[in-house]
Amino acid sequence: MKVLLVTQTRNKKGQAASTEQTLVTDILRIGRGTDCKLFLPDPRIALHHAVIRSAVDGACYIEAETGTVNVEGSFERAAKLRENQRILIGPYEMLVLPDRKDFDLVLCVELIEPLREGVDEVRSHVKAGLQNTWLSKRIFSWSLFAIVLAVFLGWPVLSAMNQPPPEQRKEAVKAASVTPDASWDVGPLASAHASFGRDCNSCHQQPFVQVKNDACESCHKTIGWHFPLKTPVAKEIHNTIFPDTRCASCHRDHKGPNGLVRTDATLCTDCHQDLKSRHPKIGTANISDFTKNHPGFMLSILQPGKTGEGAIVRVPQDDKAKPREASGLKFPHDIHLSKKGIRGPDGKVNMECANCHVRDEAGIRFKPVTMKDNCQNCHSLEFEPKVTSRQVPHGKIADVVDTLNEFYAQAALADTPIDVVVEAGIRRPGERMSETKRQAALTWATEKAGKIAKDLFEDRVCFVCHQITPVAAAENKPATWQIAPVAVTQHWLPKSRFPHSQHNTFECSKCHQVTDSKVSADIAIPDIKNCRECHGGNEPAKDKARGTCETCHGFHTGSHKAGVPAIVPGSNMPKPALKQVSSDAPGGGAKQ
Amino acid sequence: MRHRTVLEYKRYRYLKLAVIVVIAAIAGYAWYGSPVGRYGGTLMGYGLGTVGALLILWLMWFGIQKRRYRGSTGSVQGWLSAHVYLGTTLIVVATLHTGFQIGWNVHTLAYALMMLVIFSGFYGLYAYLRYPQLMTENLGEDTLDSIILKIADIDREARKLAVGMADNINQAVQDSLENTRIGGGVMAQLAGRVRKCPTANAVTVIQASVRQVKGEEAKTNKDLYALMLRKKNLVDRARMDVRYKAVLDFWLFFHVPLSIALLAALTAHIIAVFFYW
Repeated sequence: MKVLLVTQTRNKKGQAASTEQTLVTDILRIGRGTDCKLFLPDPRIALHHAVIRSAVDGACYIEAETGTVNVEGSFERAAKLRENQRILIGPYEMLVLPDRKDFDLVLCVELIEPLREGVDEVRSHVKAGLQNTWLSKRIFSWSLFAIVLAVFLGWPVLSAMNQPPPEQRKEAVKAASVTPDASWDVGPLASAHASFGRDCNSCHQQPFVQVKNDACESCHKTIGWHFPLKTPVAKEIHNTIFPDTRCASCHRDHKGPNGLVRTDATLCTDCHQDLKSRHPKIGTANISDFTKNHPGFMLSILQPGKTGEGAIVRVPQDDKAKPREASGLKFPHDIHLSKKGIRGPDGKVNMECANCHVRDEAGIRFKPVTMKDNCQNCHSLEFEPKVTSRQVPHGKIADVVDTLNEFYAQAALADTPIDVVVEAGIRRPGERMSETKRQAALTWATEKAGKIAKDLFEDRVCFVCHQITPVAAAENKPATWQIAPVAVTQHWLPKSRFPHSQHNTFECSKCHQVTDSKVSADIAIPDIKNCRECHGGNEPAKDKARGTCETCHGFHTGSHKAGVPAIVPGSNMPKPALKQVSSDAPGGGAKQ
Repeated sequence: MRHRTVLEYKRYRYLKLAVIVVIAAIAGYAWYGSPVGRYGGTLMGYGLGTVGALLILWLMWFGIQKRRYRGSTGSVQGWLSAHVYLGTTLIVVATLHTGFQIGWNVHTLAYALMMLVIFSGFYGLYAYLRYPQLMTENLGEDTLDSIILKIADIDREARKLAVGMADNINQAVQDSLENTRIGGGVMAQLAGRVRKCPTANAVTVIQASVRQVKGEEAKTNKDLYALMLRKKNLVDRARMDVRYKAVLDFWLFFHVPLSIALLAALTAHIIAVFFYW
């Protein structure tokens, strides 16, 4: 097919100019694709818009390749080309000119709708691209940046730098519903710290400085270090092992209500598994696990007759010379706990442990057994039961003797009808006692009191529990008795804690075998094997309760977790000295 | 050769690096059993936090780097590949840094912002992998500009044809010419379609009047119908194109401002931790 292509253009005045081009091709492809013989470079034209091909009948046909072509105003898929036919292809008009010699087809092509014309209106209705809307990354970014920085950094820092004095600050924090630094709180405080916790500066006292021990010790005034620092060696060991240790090295707060206290075994075993390597002067055995290498218990036994620090001796429980308690008292557990019962003031009773051993308020250990609370109900101190229910006081020998002297003197002088009083003669009513009779009565009373005292101490009452030695009368001194000093150990294992309340579910006899104990010297504290029956070690063990170091021990000496020190006569918790009330004090000082 | 996505860049070079970082972080976390717990305040916690903070700064540097056409190191595709993979590792590194402790505080704010940035980034990655192909399928040979030109042509034709038609048809066509909107506000761009499109309405109106016209008018009606149908098709495609472009961009309006907010929160977090040490 040989085609003459006349391309017509017009200048601004509308004058036409044309160029001619001969195309020889099988098919005449029309489109904006560069492979098209009739190349129409306009975006409104498809790449391959239409083709013109000659048919066997010699005529030419146009076929739309994409969509339709506009043939004389009608949209057609295909059409036969005729002379003077106008075909619109997008913005181009194609006019079929009369045939010329040598050409199969003569086409005149003219751009009648130049690009851009009439497009502006359509374009005014098109708004593409989010950057052309109100959205703005820059504004969003700067706004968020400023807000976050102001609220979460600027506000807290400025308020921290301009703190009022502590008291005012505490009040202000209490009053505020939101504090500036609330957003810095990394987690819930320990329960005990919650009451002042919103006042961050009560602990965090200096910016960019780790919490100092002073902050802790301002409240925790009595907390002790790991061991008493009374000797130079102890101090030296302490300084070697804990040179830079802060309270917060172990106690990390903001870790929940119970998160402040470490309970992991490594707290102890890090050092205790190889103490010698920490310091050569440490004499304590290496321990890494309760079940593996924990030594037998050391009993702290109160020595009779001693007071102060020397009153306690530490004896290994598994010592070959079996440790005995020298309490100075006689107490056969077997008789008291006999299944046959024991005679009480109101007949026979069956006693049990709790009759005498009463749990202390903390539920950890037991209140000391006392004569008044635990013994005297059965072991009455009555001395003249037929006449009076009075009892001698439990305590000093002199008080006992005085009580007896007073009683019998009163009886003699007032003619109390005690059988033996008859010896002094009975007065008639209203009769005044003569001096001779008075002397005789007092002599009688003194002798009687002495007899009864001897009876009480040596035969009837005191000797039942106490070890008593008579002391013969000496110059200017009446006969008296020596009572062996009482030293009942209250805390056998003071370096551990054993909460009895957590072991309520067991019978006492599970650990304390006393039903066959005939003497008070028997020690009924269970040994380590007994504990190991139920308690495992650091690692969870099958059928075993937890048994980490912290189960029984604490870190700080003097803390409640270290166990309460044994009660040593004369070394109890010091009472604060009574303070003299100043005469200047309001309402005070009048009656000093 | 098949097109390689950013994920496959240099045979997954940065995926491998990311896996190494993640394994190292998890191993470090597992190995370092601090007696006071695993959290940001231990040595390992500080370590993970430092790695995380440096990663964040480096990832944000990508926003600057990609604008430098004379980039000094590596291709934009390489940077993007690393940005995606190393950004993903932050999920693990930062979560381990927290020790799984979260609360209503600036520290968790920084963490939450970081997670939002990362997950908005995931969406962006999804968009970049999916929408360009859909855009090509939608436009074919066209561009938005060529579609506009074609619509302008159709409008011109339609205006001429509609003049001789019944009032309702003429009105519908005029409405289509004057009020057919493509794109517009944020929602209009993202929606990609208009519920009461004047052009769709014109198509319906002209189609409904097919049986009421005869002769020459019927032919004009048919032509007008064809025009409006073509226009509707073009308009729909133009709107889809606008929508795809909007969707491709939209996530960045979160990703970028949130990452800037993260920078502020991260600064506050680090200063706060050491201010109240």
